[in-house]
Amino acid sequence: MSTTTTGTELGADLPERRDAAGEELPPGIGPYALAWRRLRRNKVALAFGALFLVIVILCLLAPVYAHDIAHTGPNDQHVDTALDQFGLPIGPTWHAKFFLGADNTGRDVAVRLLYGGRNSLQIGAEATLITMLLATIFGVLAGYYRGATDGLISRAFEVIWAFPVYLLGISLGVVLAISGLDLGFIHISGSSLLITSLIIGLIYTPYVGKSIRGQVLGLREREFIDAARQQGIGNFRIMFHEILPNVSSTIIVFIPLVLANAILTEAGLSYLGAGVRPPNASWGTMIGDGIRLLPSAVHTMLVPGIMLMLCVLGVNVFGDGVRDALDPRARIRIDH
Amino acid sequence: MRKYRRPLWAVVAVAMAFAVAACGSSNSSSSASGGSSASSTTSSSSGGSSSSGASGGTATVVEGSYPQSLDPSIDFTTQGGEVHWLTYLGPYSFAHASGTAGTQIIPSVATALPTVSDGGKTYSFTIRTNLKYSDGTPVKASDLTFAIERDLKLGWSAASFLTSTIQGAADYAKGKAKTVSGITTDDATGKTTIHLVNPYGAFVDVLAVPGVSYMPPTTPMKPEPNNPPVGFGPYVIKNIQNNVGFSLVRNPNYAAQAVPGIPAGHMDVNVKVESNTTTEASDVLNNQADVFDWGDTIPPALIQQVSKLSDRFKAVQTNKTFYWFLNTTEKPFSSTLARQAVDVATDRPALARLGSGALVPGCYLLPPQMVGHPTGTCPAGDPNSSPDVAKAKQMVQQSGMAGQPVTVWAQNRQPRLEWAENYAATLNAIGFKATLKTIADADYFSTIETLKNHPQTGFADWQQDFPNPTDFYQNLVDANAIVPVGNSNYEEVNDPHIQSELKSLYPVPANQLGTVASRWAALDSYVTSKAYVVSYGYLSSPEFLSDKIDFSKVVFSPLEGNDFSSLQPK
Repeated sequence: MSTTTTGTELGADLPERRDAAGEELPPGIGPYALAWRRLRRNKVALAFGALFLVIVILCLLAPVYAHDIAHTGPNDQHVDTALDQFGLPIGPTWHAKFFLGADNTGRDVAVRLLYGGRNSLQIGAEATLITMLLATIFGVLAGYYRGATDGLISRAFEVIWAFPVYLLGISLGVVLAISGLDLGFIHISGSSLLITSLIIGLIYTPYVGKSIRGQVLGLREREFIDAARQQGIGNFRIMFHEILPNVSSTIIVFIPLVLANAILTEAGLSYLGAGVRPPNASWGTMIGDGIRLLPSAVHTMLVPGIMLMLCVLGVNVFGDGVRDALDPRARIRIDH
Repeated sequence: MRKYRRPLWAVVAVAMAFAVAACGSSNSSSSASGGSSASSTTSSSSGGSSSSGASGGTATVVEGSYPQSLDPSIDFTTQGGEVHWLTYLGPYSFAHASGTAGTQIIPSVATALPTVSDGGKTYSFTIRTNLKYSDGTPVKASDLTFAIERDLKLGWSAASFLTSTIQGAADYAKGKAKTVSGITTDDATGKTTIHLVNPYGAFVDVLAVPGVSYMPPTTPMKPEPNNPPVGFGPYVIKNIQNNVGFSLVRNPNYAAQAVPGIPAGHMDVNVKVESNTTTEASDVLNNQADVFDWGDTIPPALIQQVSKLSDRFKAVQTNKTFYWFLNTTEKPFSSTLARQAVDVATDRPALARLGSGALVPGCYLLPPQMVGHPTGTCPAGDPNSSPDVAKAKQMVQQSGMAGQPVTVWAQNRQPRLEWAENYAATLNAIGFKATLKTIADADYFSTIETLKNHPQTGFADWQQDFPNPTDFYQNLVDANAIVPVGNSNYEEVNDPHIQSELKSLYPVPANQLGTVASRWAALDSYVTSKAYVVSYGYLSSPEFLSDKIDFSKVVFSPLEGNDFSSLQPK
């Protein structure tokens, strides 16, 4: 018969352990379990996380709402019934169809809101994935190898950084909209959502990549990396097995921050005509369409505007909670 | 490093920006003013200059887009035309009058209408003596030759009017000749003779189009959009901010040598670009600007409010056709049946509604007030009733083109984007797989006018340059207009019947157009029945001014829109 001992019993004779915030650490608990424990205590962050989750679920259910409730598609125009003789759309109604009113071409705002949300969230997620992938790869390479590699990557980051985000986004968006993106082995149509994702993903890469590079520069001097080198472990294996796990909390902290920025940037670019292409909906294109009708049909701009605000607010506050949970001392941010 | 802005605050900022936009933006300066102040360059009393009325001050004109170029040897847009007909006079001009009187040709630098001889192939006229450009340089007869050569060298967007008519112009444009051989001038007597390749009935109209104008031979042979050439006219272009705005200042030397019928003007003009039509209209509505762009449409959000202002707003029917071009060289519109299906399915009443009610549904390329506009029933049925989508769908099936991908090219401007969205939805409804390709307003036409871009179908419109069906046909469906760059025959139509008819219709003199009206109508019916273009209506132009301008005194030209030289403060 075996006996089990708890971590508390084993560690009873050890000095008291505290985390960076001065909070007492229970022995035997990992950093992620500890972060989750802290996050659970942050009710505000969890509430906003739940809000974001609800928005995502609603948007995923867009086809169900369109087909079974509103009985109209996102691009179906009802010019005869939803616009007056001067082209002014009807406002919100108590009917399932046009519950949030119609837009400038007689389309159901509620249906487009949900479909637009899918596009906005899809672009946000894709852009975040692209940013995190590129930033991690280049940030780790630059920080680990230093020298010429670092010089090359850092200068490239600075070149991208030198342009205002929206100016660069608009320039790329307008150019790629006409001819699409031809990489030889793959052609992406100018109207594809992936174009917008790629643009946003690219322009945010330096903001994350620089932070990762800085962290890797410090890590590569630590004893455990020296030990790994002494054992003859290759550079790529060191980067993947030793360094990457140590920057993972930084990467996790950046994800919601980049996601919020990406959703917002998509809205801005689409509003300015350089993001999602009509007739596809996104919250940005809906705001752009709605602003033309502002004095008379406020709902066309207000509805997507509120949805955008709630979504970004949800991601942002939840992201702050995640950051506080993972590293209470961190003050990570995206400058642009 | 730039100031950090969190997404949350950025959202708030965006929301605040929208709120500000909702309240109407723009500055409040530079509106019409000074009704009582005397103008430094008062109107001349000499022959036909400005009529009596208040003078002085500056009017602000808001334009939806910047002219293609402020250099008249390049530009051929409505926004450029209304500037250039006041800043660069040619041998002839159009009368500064509202209604049909505004389509009359008047001698400008020339002393009288030309003498036509050699079976309509030779035009002769003499220019006025002692005229001087705005910088004091004397105007000479040979300056016209230089200006036409400059048009050809710099690629004036309407150069086909010259290359297809004047002897030697095509060779000069191709670099095969050192001068345009068909023009001879005598600076001593001011006599000018122009020899044409073939008789061309609308040639005097061409000589009145802004762009065919006198300019000194010292003008650089290169585009000068930011430092436009010196010209002879009642106004001078100043204070250019590219794509933002510019000023039209009265030419102090003009009043003393004013041409009869071309007024010296009462007010200076500041032109500013405002691409958002709602802001553009609300600026004029709130008297923050004085003149609304006649090429734009009052947006649905404001049309009811604006249309009540009978002392400030009038919808003027002009000869302006809106249509979908269908590229006949590419699938699916290489099929006549597929094109006809589009004609049948086009929802013209819906497009009228999307156009703030300003679009009059129609089906023909030639607009109602143009000689040759057919009066018969449209091939696709009554344009004022809902389309037969089921029939169109069946036609697409029969054509074998069902499921074909179609790219619809469109501008971002309201209501053009809304129209294109409706069009794409229509194409999808009848069995095509349509996607929309939107291009920034400023780049749209130069993009679709480039053959290598292969525009399949999309938005197009044509505003008359002169009251002759030749203007529409020579540019839009004549096979000779198909060129690699600057192509305006977007459909790439090359129909032997059309070419044969045009060959015999072009020579008919403008004053005898009535005799061939039925032939033009038959040709227009033929083009419509073949659905080379699918016309959906004719848009009325808004004459909309602030309440600081005397609405009763303003001339609205059917060719150039608001005549800035007629603007007067109340």
